[in-house]
Amino acid sequence: MTLNSRMQLILACFVFCLCAGVAFAQGLAPPTNVTAKDTPNDDGKSITLTWDAAAEDSGGITNYKILRGTTPETLEEIGDTKTTTTTTYVDSSVETGTDYVYLVRAVGETGETADSVPTAPVQATGQWFHTGKIPLFCAMLLFCAAIVGNIYYAQSGKEIFVRRIPGLEAVDEAIGRATEMGRSILYVLGMGAVDDVATIASMTILGQVARRTADYETPLRVPCRDPIVLNVVREMVKTAYLNEGRPDAYNEDNIFFLTQDQFAYAAGVDGMMIREKPAAIFLQGTFFAESLILAETGNSIGAIQIAGTDAEHQLPFLIAACDYTLIGEELYAASAYLSREPRLLGSLRGQDWGKLVIFVALVMGILLEPFGINWITALLQRVN
Amino acid sequence: MKRQVPLVLCFVFGIAMIFTQFSPHTFSQGIHNEVTNWTHIITPFALVLAVATLIQTHWVRIRRRTTHWQYSIVVFAGLITMVAFGIRSGPKNRVFEWLYENVQVPMDATVFSLLAFFIASAAYRAFRARTFEATLLLISALIVMMGNVPIGDFLWNTVMAWTPWDNATSNASQWILDNPNLSSRRGVILGVSLGAISQSIRIILGIERSYLGGGD
Repeated sequence: MTLNSRMQLILACFVFCLCAGVAFAQGLAPPTNVTAKDTPNDDGKSITLTWDAAAEDSGGITNYKILRGTTPETLEEIGDTKTTTTTTYVDSSVETGTDYVYLVRAVGETGETADSVPTAPVQATGQWFHTGKIPLFCAMLLFCAAIVGNIYYAQSGKEIFVRRIPGLEAVDEAIGRATEMGRSILYVLGMGAVDDVATIASMTILGQVARRTADYETPLRVPCRDPIVLNVVREMVKTAYLNEGRPDAYNEDNIFFLTQDQFAYAAGVDGMMIREKPAAIFLQGTFFAESLILAETGNSIGAIQIAGTDAEHQLPFLIAACDYTLIGEELYAASAYLSREPRLLGSLRGQDWGKLVIFVALVMGILLEPFGINWITALLQRVN
Repeated sequence: MKRQVPLVLCFVFGIAMIFTQFSPHTFSQGIHNEVTNWTHIITPFALVLAVATLIQTHWVRIRRRTTHWQYSIVVFAGLITMVAFGIRSGPKNRVFEWLYENVQVPMDATVFSLLAFFIASAAYRAFRARTFEATLLLISALIVMMGNVPIGDFLWNTVMAWTPWDNATSNASQWILDNPNLSSRRGVILGVSLGAISQSIRIILGIERSYLGGGD
């Protein structure tokens, strides 16, 4: 080989090595399309970062690192390293109203890195309205409009039909029975606190029961679990007795605090049932595991029992053990049913309209789904 | 005025709390959390009143020697003991903790365990096949019960081995739970939810005023 040929070979090797070096140096392609946006529908405490997975993922890149700073010069690593399949990162450690710049760094097997282009400055801002909840908001407005519209309809003096609810029809029967037997009535408001809608519904029924017991002078015993409920109930029963012109018949000692402990409460009420043998027992409100303990003890002493709860898990127990049970919504309808107040009856009608709309939507959704028309299903999923 | 102020407060806070459900902004969530905290603050004050009521009720019973007045002494004994040990170093006091774990918890468990017997007696009454509905209930209950114990499938697979269905009792049980049971439960939940919304609207609009202590 001549000197010239050797020189050519060395030069060729040098060029090859140089090309190979450049090729390996460019093997770790930086993440592309890196975008940082304020996370939608949040309280302004996060920024969402997205990027495209680099083409050489399966080869050189082992993980990604996220860098954040208030300017491109102050970038610092945040969070844990991200796997190669990750292409999103939600930064929840930002301050509202501060500009942040992000950069995604691809890390290779030997520790070499490739940085993306820093993003434009972005701020996290809180949204005043959750756009994802628009269908739910519209459904709520429509339902409210139906109820308010029907309240006005009822106020105009038009007759509103309410189907017969046996459990509520039996209220007078139960009170009458207790009066005839000369025994007390036991009213249990359940485990709910005063912020529980079922407890409020139960208190409304209690108000109606108290009016009748005031008339008949039948002792009404109310053991309470919640201190606030105790005070509201005392005031309510007192007012009922006053309204009936029987303030002398009201006995504050009959409405008392028992305990806040679930099973101690059940044991206390059971003890009262066994000792006092009330002729009528009302179990109205929210109940949990103690429902059957109370209802079966009431059954064992032969009391007429009217139960009502919105806890669907306890309904079978109450239905099995009580004479009458208000199922779910019947509990909420009780105040309207017993008082026959037009505005309350109107709200019941509005409630039925809501049920009708949901029923029609469900039937249409079922019928249209086999034909590939699924916008009703999608809408109901969004409302949820 | 005594009625108007609570009604106005209820309306304002009711509407505000509804809108906090649709607004993720820090300000609205702050209002939501603040108002929720207020309810937690009110409860201890009401509890003091409740304990005072409890003491008053039982003291009157002891003084008047009413029927079963002796139980009221037990109430006082329990109350005084727990307060005496708990007030100094809170729930971490050794005696307080011991009393809780060895007296209150076992008594709670005892009452809870009574549920098993009550379920049996209630089930006996409910499942007596006197009507078509009760018979249907009985059959469904038997299938569900057999499907939930290993012997159910064992018996089916042994006695009914000639049928093409394996583990039919557990499958049938699951079908009953997933279809007729779940759909009826959802129906009840739907009604309850609409009823609760309707009741809330009545309260917010001041139509339902029972929470004010009765009267109009």
